[in-house]
Amino acid sequence: MDYSGYIALILQGAVVTAQLTVMGCALALVMAFVAGLGRLSRFGAVRALATAYIEFFRGTSVFVQLFWAYFVLPLLGVELTPLQAGVLALGLNVGAYGAEVVRGAVQSIGKEQREACVALNLTRFQAMRHVVLPQAIVPMLPTFGNNAIELLKATAIVSLISISDMTFQAQVMRAQTGSTLVPFATIMVIYFLFALAISGAIRALERRLTRGLDGVRA
Amino acid sequence: MTAHAAVPPIIEVDRVSKSFGDFKVLDELSFSVAPAEKLALIGPSGSGKTTILRILMTLESIDSGHIRIEGEELYHMEKGGRLVPADEAHLHRMRAKIGMVFQLFNLFPHMCVLDNVTLAPVLTKGVAKEAAKRRAMELLDMVGLADKAKAMPAQLSGGQKQRVAIARALALEPRIMLFDEVTSALDPELVEEVLAVMHRLARETDMTMLLVTHEMGFAHDFADRVMFFDRGRIVEQGPPSEIFTNPREERTQGFLRKIIAAGHRI
Repeated sequence: MDYSGYIALILQGAVVTAQLTVMGCALALVMAFVAGLGRLSRFGAVRALATAYIEFFRGTSVFVQLFWAYFVLPLLGVELTPLQAGVLALGLNVGAYGAEVVRGAVQSIGKEQREACVALNLTRFQAMRHVVLPQAIVPMLPTFGNNAIELLKATAIVSLISISDMTFQAQVMRAQTGSTLVPFATIMVIYFLFALAISGAIRALERRLTRGLDGVRA
Repeated sequence: MTAHAAVPPIIEVDRVSKSFGDFKVLDELSFSVAPAEKLALIGPSGSGKTTILRILMTLESIDSGHIRIEGEELYHMEKGGRLVPADEAHLHRMRAKIGMVFQLFNLFPHMCVLDNVTLAPVLTKGVAKEAAKRRAMELLDMVGLADKAKAMPAQLSGGQKQRVAIARALALEPRIMLFDEVTSALDPELVEEVLAVMHRLARETDMTMLLVTHEMGFAHDFADRVMFFDRGRIVEQGPPSEIFTNPREERTQGFLRKIIAAGHRI
């Protein structure tokens, strides 16, 4: 049997999955920094808001969040396309995990670095922007890589709100051809290659950012 | 004041107290420092001498009392005719007068030496990048490290790191420099190169300098006045020749004996 038409469909789905992953990661990254730094704010209200976001999105299933974004928000007057709903749910969910990574990494930068910033009369913002964050990014990267791969795999659930991602197309192929092995072996390989690409990119970034820091960090 | 009795003090510490939990580090401490004076603070660990420097740099708050820098309150500001706790803007204005060098250098490991020195002048004083670089190179030259401008801190020895840290603090042109046990973390053979830089600073600038140190020989040569601290109070103070050769107080004598027994020279 000729599967080539179906494989082309799956590759189209792969493009959708890649889009969801890239946009979801972008939103997650923004949320991770906003909420992670929010948790370290001087202002109690900001800390409370950040904590509420993190706990809520970590504590409820991404599946439920997706259904809220797509089916419940319209009832409240917010209409989203399936892609927007998917990116929103994935980004907010993974961003909540990322926020704790940002907070932990920022807190891991020694007190003596902050004290040097005070002695050099930098503002809090300048200290964060030029001294703390550039150093904190490095320990964030491995966990960010994990989070990005988690997000990639979680994109499969968007097929439930009728986005034709890779998993959706595999199910179409399975229903129409009766073959389970071919579509699911295909998408398994593609998911794996995507994940490999993410790990590779993170490692390259890590190497770039640790140049010259030898002996400073393990 | 010993040397400059007529000149108003640049630093006034006025009945300052500070506790860490139940431990009273500073107990109603008062002293003042004249402009351009070189003051050495000595005493056993835990006597509060480092805390004084940290308080002057606003790294540590005070529980009570007042500190005035060039006549202006450090931790307070006037608002509607009353003194209220200082806000960030006031602290920034005051910090611009003061620089500090730390025991563990606290260089920024992700920046080269030159960037370590130029960062603060560019960000806090709006100095143009090129001008900041030129000035940084002069300062690095003064501390003997012009050839290390592009090196990363991890590639330097402890003595070199500390000399970069001194250049970094000087780049902001503070009126007052605080040196907190700047040679304590160095291998013995690297101590001299750092002390030489400080000697030169003391000779060639009219910066006010406060120095916490265990190098009694250096304190002797460097300082106009030595203050001996114990348990958050000044036990004895005076010119180094007096304190080191003819201390009046028993606790000072005991402390100096121990220091000499530990192999430090005076």
